[in-house]
Amino acid sequence: MTGALLYLRLTSLRNLVAYRLGRLRQPKYLLGAVFAVAYFYYFVIRRFGAARGAVALAGAGGPSAGMLAASAICAMLCLVAVVRIAYAWIWPPEKPGLAFTEAEIAFLFPAPVTRKALIHYRLLSAQFAILFSAVLITVAFNRSGFLGGHRALHAVGWWIMLSTIDLHLNGTNLSLGRLRETSAHFRLWRLAGVAVIAAYAVAVYLSVAGPVEAFLSDSGSRGGLDGLSGALRGATAAYWLTLPFRIVLGPYLATTYREFAVAIGPALIVLAAHYWWVSTTQARFEEGSIAIAERRAAMRSAAQRGEVLKLGRKPKALPGPFPLPPRGLPEIAFLWKNLLSLRSSLFSRRALFVVLGIGAWAYFGLGPLMRVRSGDALGFVVLMFCAIIAGYTLILGPQIARQDLRSDLPNADLLKTYPMEGWRLALGELLAPTTILTVILWATILAAAATYDSAGRVEWLTAGVRATVAGCLALAAPMMCLIQLIVPNTVMVLMPAWYQSSRTRGGGIEMFGQRLMFGIVQLLFALLVAVPAAGVAVLVYIASFWVLGISTGVVLATVAVVFILAAEAAVGLWFLGGRFERFDLSLENR
Amino acid sequence: MIEVEALTKKYGAFTAVRSLTFSVKPGEVLGLVGPNGAGKTSTLRCLAGIIPATAGTVRIAGHDLSAEPVEAKRALAFFPDEPRLFEYLTVRQHLTFVARIYGVADYEALATPLLEELELAEKADVLPGELSRGMKQKLVIACGLLHSPKVMFFDEPLTGLDPLGIRRMKDSIVRRARGGAAIVLSSHLLHLLEEVCTNVLILKRGDKVADGTLADVAAQFSNGEPDVSLEEVFIRATGGSEG
Repeated sequence: MTGALLYLRLTSLRNLVAYRLGRLRQPKYLLGAVFAVAYFYYFVIRRFGAARGAVALAGAGGPSAGMLAASAICAMLCLVAVVRIAYAWIWPPEKPGLAFTEAEIAFLFPAPVTRKALIHYRLLSAQFAILFSAVLITVAFNRSGFLGGHRALHAVGWWIMLSTIDLHLNGTNLSLGRLRETSAHFRLWRLAGVAVIAAYAVAVYLSVAGPVEAFLSDSGSRGGLDGLSGALRGATAAYWLTLPFRIVLGPYLATTYREFAVAIGPALIVLAAHYWWVSTTQARFEEGSIAIAERRAAMRSAAQRGEVLKLGRKPKALPGPFPLPPRGLPEIAFLWKNLLSLRSSLFSRRALFVVLGIGAWAYFGLGPLMRVRSGDALGFVVLMFCAIIAGYTLILGPQIARQDLRSDLPNADLLKTYPMEGWRLALGELLAPTTILTVILWATILAAAATYDSAGRVEWLTAGVRATVAGCLALAAPMMCLIQLIVPNTVMVLMPAWYQSSRTRGGGIEMFGQRLMFGIVQLLFALLVAVPAAGVAVLVYIASFWVLGISTGVVLATVAVVFILAAEAAVGLWFLGGRFERFDLSLENR
Repeated sequence: MIEVEALTKKYGAFTAVRSLTFSVKPGEVLGLVGPNGAGKTSTLRCLAGIIPATAGTVRIAGHDLSAEPVEAKRALAFFPDEPRLFEYLTVRQHLTFVARIYGVADYEALATPLLEELELAEKADVLPGELSRGMKQKLVIACGLLHSPKVMFFDEPLTGLDPLGIRRMKDSIVRRARGGAAIVLSSHLLHLLEEVCTNVLILKRGDKVADGTLADVAAQFSNGEPDVSLEEVFIRATGGSEG
């Protein structure tokens, strides 16, 4: 039986690779693949490879930016894994299930296959993805470059970490499912579990916070990572509390063969214990597996139809974001509708987790920094932070906030029967994401203006000037957001086949490349529309501030910017609306 | 009410509809029939303003669809075969949204009886995901009827409906026609067309094969035989094969 299951897995893998290679004959996939390979080479492999050369320098001048970036990303991935595990313990699914495809369920569940064989098959299937991920992550982050050690050992380290996490999630799923089936007091058990997790998190924080703060406030704390890890080694409670995690991380963190040999044993024991846990837990996973498979299939077909990918939960009915009278501008109806769909997406358990995660990161991560840094330095940190968020909002925001024509693509026929000109329909559809992105930008502008104060060093940057600049940026923000949103919507209408393929879930490196290309188009367009506005703004400012002062100069320049951006947005909407009126999705499917 | 003259729709080199001319007066129900690929859906989509015609003119309630699309669309409703709904809007919120798009001032007074007529009143506050396919179809119909359109286009209107729903849908179409609406419906269900249509237009490979009242078209293909069914007429007119 194992042979048959192995045959199924290997043959599927071979055919998948053949299919992926075969579709490279299509230019859109080939170009995507070339883009992705070039990106990985120049921005990941080469860059982190350069960090390797920096090791020799690290002893003298501390870690390089590349090393810190790589270690920060690794730390973030670990944090994501921890949060994912906590999520699995706190919110287990209603019914335990393992991730099989619908075809696997149709063929394997009725077949004379033991329950254990099914679990083994599932674990084996996961191993293909885990092995691939381990190799990819090893190459991408090149940990050898900043902490030393052999790459092959790091790959094994990643494999152990990923396999343990996968087994742990499955074990949690099955154990809690079993508990739900057998215990009349499941809620109490779950509550106790949440309390233990919370207590554990608080204990880890308390045991780590002291040494970290002492390290940061120490004026001589310029020892980089070594100094920080030295400070942590001194915390005995933290040492024992984090022991299970450190055992799993041990092979990855080993820098010599000897360290690896010492670390691999305990890590494999933990891994084997997890395997035993999963394979012996007597939970009925069939119904849950069917539900998972159906949900995945529905998500896949939704993505292929061009609909928004859902996280596998049922949407909830919510009241409208504001009263919608039957008379008035029809564009507002689209704002109302799209805000409603956004609220449904926002009020999810996962969204709550993301917000809590960001909040925890801000408090635990920035908190100590804020306490030891004072005055304008803190304002500068906040300013930089806000600038980064604002930049991401303008460049990546339009790719994420899709409550517009893109999410309504399946309803294109219906929309076109509405008695509205194309540009008005496009404007209506874009109002909701424009509002969302604008609110985020306004929040960053407000935060930066409220905390940044460099009047001590820059005389002319008075509170009045700061307020004027902030107000002017806030005025220009909606137009910039609107223009940025016109770009991906126009791309969708002009090249629906490309756009659709880039939205399909998963899909390999070529799909990543396609998404990358769309991101680059977005960035280039942002620059293109900003150049004339910025040029005119500079001219107006230079011409006016000598006579009228800085604030008035800024206001006049902003008026010019808003005027130009509004004109650009109007042209964009007119073009997008016209194209949408002639757009025929069925033609693309022929 | 609906005037179509020399309507042509091409997809690249392929001609889906070729120089189609016909009209539908208030109170008439035109059945659009033809084998698969005959150009029915393309015709309906051109008539509803979803896709532009390659050539020819379409006038809806006196408005040229290409020159005055907004005015023309205000008078029409299109009912697709596959119910497309907004996932996060409840049944009632769909009607609120559509009312604003069409500027239906007294929509609440209209919506309540409409929901009751379509047996959706109890589902007014649920999302489309909780509705059966037939219910979704009914919601699409409720949204389409809310602005009291003078012109209606139905693409396979009975798909997904239960027997009672089919009966009600047929009655509704006939009632709307009697109320003065001009209706075009496309369907493969010839018995439906026989029951509700006053006129029939048969398409084959984008060309009009026959157009007229049911009796006229039947006479054209009856070869002198009495009581020839529409099914028989259809097979004789089209050869029974794919378009």
